[in-house]
Amino acid sequence: MKQTELKSGMKIIGVIFLVFVFTVATHDGEFWPFSIFPMFSKAGNPWTRAMVLDVTNLENEELWKIHSLNERSAAAISLRKQGVDQIDFSNFVSKTNHWSETRTNALLTMFDNEVPQERQWMIAKVRGELDQEDLITVQIHPLFLLSNDRIIRNPLLDDSHYFLREE
Amino acid sequence: MNWVYPIAKGLFEPDRDISPGENLFFKLFELFILCYTIKFCFEWAHYTQIRNVDVVLPLGVANYIDVSLFFDNYLSYLIAVSILLFSVMAFFRKGPNWHYIVVILLFHLLYVIRFSQGEIPHSQNLIGLSLLCFAVGLVWYPDNKTMPRFIIGSILFFIGLGYTSAFIAKLIGTGFHWFDGRHLWLWISEKSIDILSREGVYQPNFLQSLALSSVGVASIILLIGWFTEFIGFTLWWPKLRPFTTTLLIAMHIGITLTMNIRFDAFVIQLILIGYPWYKILDIYFKETPAWVVKTL
Repeated sequence: MKQTELKSGMKIIGVIFLVFVFTVATHDGEFWPFSIFPMFSKAGNPWTRAMVLDVTNLENEELWKIHSLNERSAAAISLRKQGVDQIDFSNFVSKTNHWSETRTNALLTMFDNEVPQERQWMIAKVRGELDQEDLITVQIHPLFLLSNDRIIRNPLLDDSHYFLREE
Repeated sequence: MNWVYPIAKGLFEPDRDISPGENLFFKLFELFILCYTIKFCFEWAHYTQIRNVDVVLPLGVANYIDVSLFFDNYLSYLIAVSILLFSVMAFFRKGPNWHYIVVILLFHLLYVIRFSQGEIPHSQNLIGLSLLCFAVGLVWYPDNKTMPRFIIGSILFFIGLGYTSAFIAKLIGTGFHWFDGRHLWLWISEKSIDILSREGVYQPNFLQSLALSSVGVASIILLIGWFTEFIGFTLWWPKLRPFTTTLLIAMHIGITLTMNIRFDAFVIQLILIGYPWYKILDIYFKETPAWVVKTL
């Protein structure tokens, strides 16, 4: 490589770098394939994920109660076996603040209307945080009950839990 | 600028002659990028067609166009097939030299279509970044003697930059106490829910149990990882590159063990680009193979 090619090489890298800076600066750090890799940059914050539980054998009074992970009696449904990307599912549930009819029905579509006959599956948010005694607490918040192609909201939660803000 | 020259010299190694092994390695590396590009495209197209329903998080160009238009009618497959055709033609250098530019634009579009569901995965970033460098290199360096050096050098530049910028993002996002082991506890608990949800069962492994047993151990794990990210930019210099690469691979293995996040394409690419494999190939190849000369 000649000196001139060395210089032109760095100039081209410089131009790509400027495009990189401009795109990530105007798109919250992400403009694929450019990224400042901000994952894990904000440490110590509480988190929210989601999971599906088989609640077929639970009594009605237990069905909708918020409970800790340690108290969990219902088995977790393996989303991999359902052909659902677990990370997508988790983000879909945890990041949706306005459960419109489309969004709610999208959950049924996600599971391809394949909840087995006579079974009841609970879609739940799972929240974790570090408490004041430096212990991790993880709580399960039931959100939707799936059964026989139907989806039911948690009757113990008011509308504000499903319509936090307009999107 | 004086400070740019040592970086340019490290990335492009102007004093080293181009060897048959280097040419062969370059083409094999391009094949690796091509295979992963095709793999990702068809995986994304398939998932989009059967699962995507609504845009939860618009990324990239999805901020400006409604990508839900591509969720049905096999349009995602159409994009994937287009990428396949253009990338194979680009690999064999058939047709004009801007084919990889079309590939990276379509690849970006397919990424934002597939990942409009809320998650921002990063394990495909290095493949995308490499394609971009191939696209730029083939257009601006039609002289095939210089082009491989530019492409590999620019990929190394952006990989190094990515790791160091991740270090800085943590410093700005949290501060010097980012490596507090309790933060790792939170992440392990979060990822344990992901595994439980994915598999239906979860058991912590040895390293997770060790980290959860002591805040000191968890802090040391984070500190080592953070320091490794910081020195990412040392990939720019060939003498330091193998050592930094080894540390980065170890860091990724650590992330996989503690947080169950796999970076297969990332790690394979680091293994390929971080070590001077051309030296081994040079032992066996005294001349550049004919198929490589034709397609360089």
